[in-house]
Amino acid sequence: MSNKRAAYDCSGCSLCLLVCPLWRRKRDLQHSPHGWAKALQHGATADELALAVQDCTLCRACDPVCPEQIDVSGMILKLRGQIRHPQTAVLQERMAAQAKRPAPAFQAKTALLAGETLRANPALLKRTAALLGSVVADDDGADIVLALEVGVVVPSERLDALIAPLRRAEKVIVADGLLLPYLAQWLPDAKIFSLGETLCSLVSVRNKLCATDLYVIEPRAYHADYVRLVKHYDRLRRERGCEFNLDLQRIAIPATSRSLPQRLGLITRDDDEQARWVLQGRSITRIVVENLEDRAAFEKVSDIPVLHLAELV
Amino acid sequence: MIPETSELPLRGATGPCHVGPDALLGIQRQQTNPTRWNGQSWDEFARVLRDCGIVLRVTKAACGAFATDAGGTAYGLPHGVVIARSAAQISSLLKAAQQYRVPVTVRGGGLTTEGESVAFGGVLLDMTGMSRVLQVDSEAATVRTEGGIFWHSLAEELRRYGMDYLSAPLNLTSSVGGTLGVGGIDVNSSRLGCSADQALALQVVTPTGEIVECSDTQNAELFRRVILGYGQFGVIAEATLKIRRYTPLRMHYFYYDSLSTAVEDMQLLNRNDASDYSGILTIMDCAVNLLVAFDSDEREAAFQANWQKQLRGHGESGFALCMLKRYALRPWKLPEAWFLLQRKRELFPEFRRSEYMRDGLMHDRSVVFSRAVWKFWGSKQMVIPDLSTSAEKFVEAVEQGNAVCRKFFPRYTLYCVGIRLRPEHKPHYEMSCIPPDAQGWAYGCEFEPMMDGQSYSRDYLQSFKNAIYDIGVDLGGSYYRFGGMMKGYIRRVFGDEVVDRHLAMKREADPAMILNRDVIF
Repeated sequence: MSNKRAAYDCSGCSLCLLVCPLWRRKRDLQHSPHGWAKALQHGATADELALAVQDCTLCRACDPVCPEQIDVSGMILKLRGQIRHPQTAVLQERMAAQAKRPAPAFQAKTALLAGETLRANPALLKRTAALLGSVVADDDGADIVLALEVGVVVPSERLDALIAPLRRAEKVIVADGLLLPYLAQWLPDAKIFSLGETLCSLVSVRNKLCATDLYVIEPRAYHADYVRLVKHYDRLRRERGCEFNLDLQRIAIPATSRSLPQRLGLITRDDDEQARWVLQGRSITRIVVENLEDRAAFEKVSDIPVLHLAELV
Repeated sequence: MIPETSELPLRGATGPCHVGPDALLGIQRQQTNPTRWNGQSWDEFARVLRDCGIVLRVTKAACGAFATDAGGTAYGLPHGVVIARSAAQISSLLKAAQQYRVPVTVRGGGLTTEGESVAFGGVLLDMTGMSRVLQVDSEAATVRTEGGIFWHSLAEELRRYGMDYLSAPLNLTSSVGGTLGVGGIDVNSSRLGCSADQALALQVVTPTGEIVECSDTQNAELFRRVILGYGQFGVIAEATLKIRRYTPLRMHYFYYDSLSTAVEDMQLLNRNDASDYSGILTIMDCAVNLLVAFDSDEREAAFQANWQKQLRGHGESGFALCMLKRYALRPWKLPEAWFLLQRKRELFPEFRRSEYMRDGLMHDRSVVFSRAVWKFWGSKQMVIPDLSTSAEKFVEAVEQGNAVCRKFFPRYTLYCVGIRLRPEHKPHYEMSCIPPDAQGWAYGCEFEPMMDGQSYSRDYLQSFKNAIYDIGVDLGGSYYRFGGMMKGYIRRVFGDEVVDRHLAMKREADPAMILNRDVIF
C-alpha cells in the first residue's frame, strides 16, 4: 500500500462510481470516493465529509478500478481516523480489555479467524473448521475489525495479543475480508487466505457447484487481492460454469450495503435494494455465499435457496 | 515586469506566442475561459429554488468537486450545485433560471476536454443523479433510461437480459445524455452510425422549463435540435434507445508501418461492409494498428475468405520482422525501437486480459478499451483535438494532423474511425461533428498526446489544438469537440449563415441564454 497514490492524484475519471454501492444507492457524487477526493483537493476537511464517509461500506471495489492507483480505501480509513466518532471510547475499552486476555499460543498449523457472524452459528462454524482441518482461534480480532472501520488506532498491546498466538501457524484463514490485508502485513511469514477462497479450493466443495448456481464472492477479501483472485474465480467459472456476483469489470457486487452506523448496530440494516440488484435478471436455482451475512440479505428478497459454501458438502 | 502601454497588443488582437508562433497566425487571441457570471440576483434565485424544495449546495466541497472536466485545463466554480432528480425538478430550476437570468451548466460524466461541462458561475446541474434504467424491452429491442446514466451502467443492466447498446464512446463514464448531445463514436460506428443515432425518443426539459416528449415523429423539430445540439436546446431527462442482442467479439489486429495505408484499408472494409468493427490506433508513426472485429463466426469467415488477403497490414510476428529490418538499417533510431517494444509489453496484454476473454472472444470491449485509455492516456491534463472529414479528405487530414502532433509532442496516439451516416438524420447533422460535405460515411480522428507525467502550459496545449483545428478549416471538415475553449472555430468552419441561424433558434428557445450558455455561442 505504501506505493499507492493519494487523494490529490485523483483525476476525476469517475470509474470508482461505477462500482460503488453507496453511489448506486445515493446517485450523488458527494457519496463517492471521487467526490471525497475532489472535495479534499478543494480544501474540504474530514469533518465536512464525515456523514458521507461514514456511509461507505468499505467493500474496497474502488481500489482495483482506480487507474491512478490511488489507495482509495486507505483514503477513506484515513478520513474516518480524523473524525471523532462517538463509539471511539467504547471500542478503545473493548480492545484494552481484550488485550488483557491474551489467547494461548496456537499449536495447530492452520488457524481460522471466524468472525462474529460465523461464531454466532456454532454448527456451521464446527462444520467449516472440520472441512478446513483448522482450529478456530479464540481471538479473531472482531474488535480490531470494528476499530479499523471506525478509524480508531489499534493499540500495540492489543495487536500483539492478536498476533502473538498466531505466530506459529503456517496458514491463517480469515472470514472477515477487511482484516485480511492487515494480517498479511502483521504476519509476513504466514500464508493468509480468505475463508471463501479456501473453501472453494476444496475439491469436495467446488465439485458441488453447478452451472445454475450464483456464487457470491465476499467483496472485501476479493478486492484486497484482486489481481490474483480474479484469475482464481475465473478458473472456477470455467470449471463449474456457475455465475458470479461480478460486474463487467469483474468487480464483486456486494450483496449487502452497510454503512458504519449500520455495522455498529446504531441504525437498522437495509440490504434489500443491493441484494435485488445482485439477483436482477439472473436465471439461477441456487445461491451459494462465502459470507454468512449475505445469506440473510438474499433470503429476505428472494425464494431461491441460499447456502453457505461449507453447507455444500 | 509590467509592459509599457504601447507594447500591449490591441484588445482582441493576436499577441506574441512564445511557444507556437505559427500556430496562432491569423486567429484572434481567444479568451479561453468565459468570464465568470457576476452573481446578480443569486440570492433571490436561491430562495426561489429552496421554496420549490430543490436542494442547492453551495459549500466548497460540493462546488469544488466540479471545478474542472476531464481535460483539466479549464477551471471554474459554480455558485451552487443541484443534483438532478426528476424532469419536474429540472423544469422548476430552469424556469427560475430564466426568470433571474442565472446560467445553468449541465454535466453528465464530465468527460469534456474544453471546459464545456465546467460552470463559470451560476448553477451546475449534475445529471448523474438521474441514472436509472426505467424499462428494458428485449422483444422490441429498446430501453428507456434516465439521461444521466453512464453508458457502462446501462451496459451492466442490459447484459443481465442478454442485450447491449448499439454504440457508445469507448469510455465507461460517458453519459447517455451528454453523448446524444454531441455524437459519440465507437469502433462499430462505421456500421451503426454515431452513438446519437440510436436515440428513438427523448424526454427533454426545454430551456424555459417545458417537459416535452420528442422523436422523429413527435415534436420532431425539438428532437432534431437536441440530438447533436451541444446541450443548447434542452436537458435530456430520459431517452429511449435502440438496443440489440449482446454478442462477444472476434478480434483481429493488423499492423502497418504507414498511416495512410492503414486508413485506406479501413475505408476499404467500411465501403464493403466487410467487418462489424474497425478502428485505427497508432502507437508511433511507423507502427499503426488496424483493429477489425466481428459479431459472428459467419461474418468473420466471410472476411477471412474475401477481404483479409486484400489488407496490406501484417500480423504481430510479421510486423515484428518488419520492425527488426527497419531498425537494423537505422541503428540511430534504437531508442524508438525500445519505446515500441516497451509499449508492446505494456499495452498488448491489456487488450488480452484473460478475465475479459473467453474462448478467444472479447467479452467486454468497452471495459477493455476504456481501462486501457485511462491507464495509458489518462492524466490530469488531457487534450484530444480531433478532425472529422468526408472519406475523400480523410487521409490528407490525418497525415497533416499527425505532422502537427510530431511537432508538438514526442509521443502521441491517433484514434480513427468511420461513421456511417443516416440520410434520414441529415437535419440532426447540421452544425455538428458531421462535416457538411460527407456522403455515406464521415471519418473522425482524435489526436491524443501522451503527457507521460509532463506538464504543459495551457498556451502550449491551445497552440497545438489550434494547429489541428486549422486543418479542419482548410479542408472544410468539422470537429467533435468544437465547444468550450475551441468555440472560436465555429464560425470559421461552419460559416456565419449557419451559425447565425442556429443562434437565432437558440435565442428563441432560451430567451435569457441560460442553458450551457458558454459552450458554443
